Amino acid sequence: MTKRHTRLFFVVGTSVFAAIFLGLTIHSHMRFGELTHAEAITPQVIAGKHVWHRKNCINCHTLLGEGAYYAPDLTKITQQRGEAYLRLFLRDPSRFYSEQRHGRVMPNMKLSDEQITDVIAFLTWVSNIDNQGWPPRPIVVSAALPDATAANAATAASGDPVALGEAVFRRSPPACFSCHSTTAGTVLVGPSMAGIATRAATLIADSSYKGAARSAPDYIRESILNPSAYVVPGPTFGAGGQSVMPPLGALLKPEEVEQLVAYLATFK
Amino acid sequence: MRFRTQAVAYPYFVVALLLYGLQMVFGLLSVAKYLGPDPLIHLLPFDVSKAIHTNLLIVWVLTGFMGAAYWLVPEESRTELHSPTMAYAALGLWTLAGVTAVVGYLFGWTAGNKLLEQPLPVKLAIVVVMLMFLYNLGMTIWKAKRLTTTEGVLMAGLAFTAILYLPSLLEFDNYTVAIFYRWWTVHLWVEGVWEMIQGALLAYLLIRLSGIDREVMEKWLYVIVGLTFISGLLGTAHHYYFVGVPSYWLPLGGFFSALEPLVFVAMSAYAYQAIRRSGLSHPNTLALHWTLGSAIFSALGAGLLGLAHTWPSVNRWTHGTLITPMHGHSAFFGAYVMIVLAVITYATPALMGHDESQRETRTGLWAFWLQVGGMFGMTMAFAAAGIGQVYLERVLGMGYLETQAKIQVHFLMLVATGTLFTAGVALFLWDFFFLAPRQRTHVEPAAAAARMPA
Repeated sequence: MTKRHTRLFFVVGTSVFAAIFLGLTIHSHMRFGELTHAEAITPQVIAGKHVWHRKNCINCHTLLGEGAYYAPDLTKITQQRGEAYLRLFLRDPSRFYSEQRHGRVMPNMKLSDEQITDVIAFLTWVSNIDNQGWPPRPIVVSAALPDATAANAATAASGDPVALGEAVFRRSPPACFSCHSTTAGTVLVGPSMAGIATRAATLIADSSYKGAARSAPDYIRESILNPSAYVVPGPTFGAGGQSVMPPLGALLKPEEVEQLVAYLATFK
Repeated sequence: MRFRTQAVAYPYFVVALLLYGLQMVFGLLSVAKYLGPDPLIHLLPFDVSKAIHTNLLIVWVLTGFMGAAYWLVPEESRTELHSPTMAYAALGLWTLAGVTAVVGYLFGWTAGNKLLEQPLPVKLAIVVVMLMFLYNLGMTIWKAKRLTTTEGVLMAGLAFTAILYLPSLLEFDNYTVAIFYRWWTVHLWVEGVWEMIQGALLAYLLIRLSGIDREVMEKWLYVIVGLTFISGLLGTAHHYYFVGVPSYWLPLGGFFSALEPLVFVAMSAYAYQAIRRSGLSHPNTLALHWTLGSAIFSALGAGLLGLAHTWPSVNRWTHGTLITPMHGHSAFFGAYVMIVLAVITYATPALMGHDESQRETRTGLWAFWLQVGGMFGMTMAFAAAGIGQVYLERVLGMGYLETQAKIQVHFLMLVATGTLFTAGVALFLWDFFFLAPRQRTHVEPAAAAARMPA
């Protein structure tokens, strides 16, 4: 092989693969619209993207798995947390996390209400991008390891409503587990589910309760479909009678709601 | 130094090394923030220190590349540089743009696009500098009517570096499209045209250090850059995993990324051949260390550790974890930091007008081994942290914050090994700025006249 041969190898190889690369780029352009739901890129989403860039979010967080590795991935965050939570969180992150307890906390970015709305719109759009089903299992900000029974949730093929309900609880969306632990005393964002059935029974008999539920399963169902019907007092649970939890009626089929109720009603 | 105007390289090396030192400060600040409560959170949060750390890297490595080109092109074309004044002016503008960007980040002036955070006016200044640089060296070669393969590859690499920076000036409303073109700059730089630059500098150094036949080296240089683009162009696909582009990029990324290590294996083989024929007899042993080190370390960091997570079914779990900086740190160090330090080490004695065989090498060797050892340790610390993170967070489903708390010990290792690395950098700077001139044993009048303006 002479220098002339190797030069030919370089020139031809590079040209051929550059041509293929450009061809695939053109083809990708024809698919971007459909894969990213480009029709949903409203001026608000674009404004939210500017907030994302101007506040340098990507140098702590990752989005679609890209960015820095100092803070959680936000690809599916709007599906996990819902708008009410994110709004409250962005106003003052230190309300939800402390450096002493969690090791890290997000500094207050001092966003205006409009900027918060915009960036949530942007993240909502991102969460719907067709990205080959990544992440393969939900990445959550904070959650203890699922206990042994939860590991069995995947084998819910039995048709047992409790097992099916547990599978829904561990799935994302709705990602119940990313805010509610099932261990007594562990508060992630919302109240722990440990003892929920017993507490519900006491609560609906109490005069402070103004909701419509008459039994513990009723109460659990009401909390899933209309979280603000009764807001449990707690620093991160809600504000001004408004729960931070999104109503899940639109995300879940009616039978899935019943399965969740059946599962949660076992926490006595 | 055979041509007076090669001296232009010296201030470039000075700026590059000062920024290298500054990069360490922000690297250590960033890693300290992994250890828990951050007293500087309101003054200098992680996003700022990290952006400065990575931007300084890009700026100083490019400064080093430019310095290396100003050193190499006159020698290869056997002529004086077209315009030294223009080269100094370009350096001034470049440094101003770089410093403005860094100070801007401290005050929140950023485009917030990973690695391309430079605000638009700074980006435009960078483009102007690149044009000045290419014009100056282009004219030099044009006037000399002599273009060697080595400098041709180097100049092509630098010209494409400038061209590929242009997509970063565009804004896209669609975030996925923005990601797509961001990698045209970032990936096609570091896994494309910068490898041309590395390959060319490696060829130049091996020819000089080993005395091997130029024809042989340049023949294989074409093979190396050919392989770079055959694997690297479609290898861009490994950055297109899971970001909203068509799924055919996944198998393409897997296949062509698997070919990418070939380039680095070829570079190592190249260095081995050169040295085997001539032995390690060149008096500049430090430059030999850095040159061979670059060939070997880049095979590990850029080649093998990149391969470790570019297969789509693996990357599905490692995407966006600390596995990425494991590869990133070792790849950048092996391929680009070491090659720039090799050129600087090779050129310094001539630039300073002293005899390299008289040179004291103890400090320089400590600088070399502390950096190599420190970087190896950092790579291992990132790997251990990353594997822990993937298993706990991605596979088992533990929360992000709980996982980060569980892998704290690896962050301690990162601080320790990063400190060793920084000590190596400090020694390198000490050697460059304070030791080299003192060992001057013999100054040729021509070389003395060419000593640095300021």
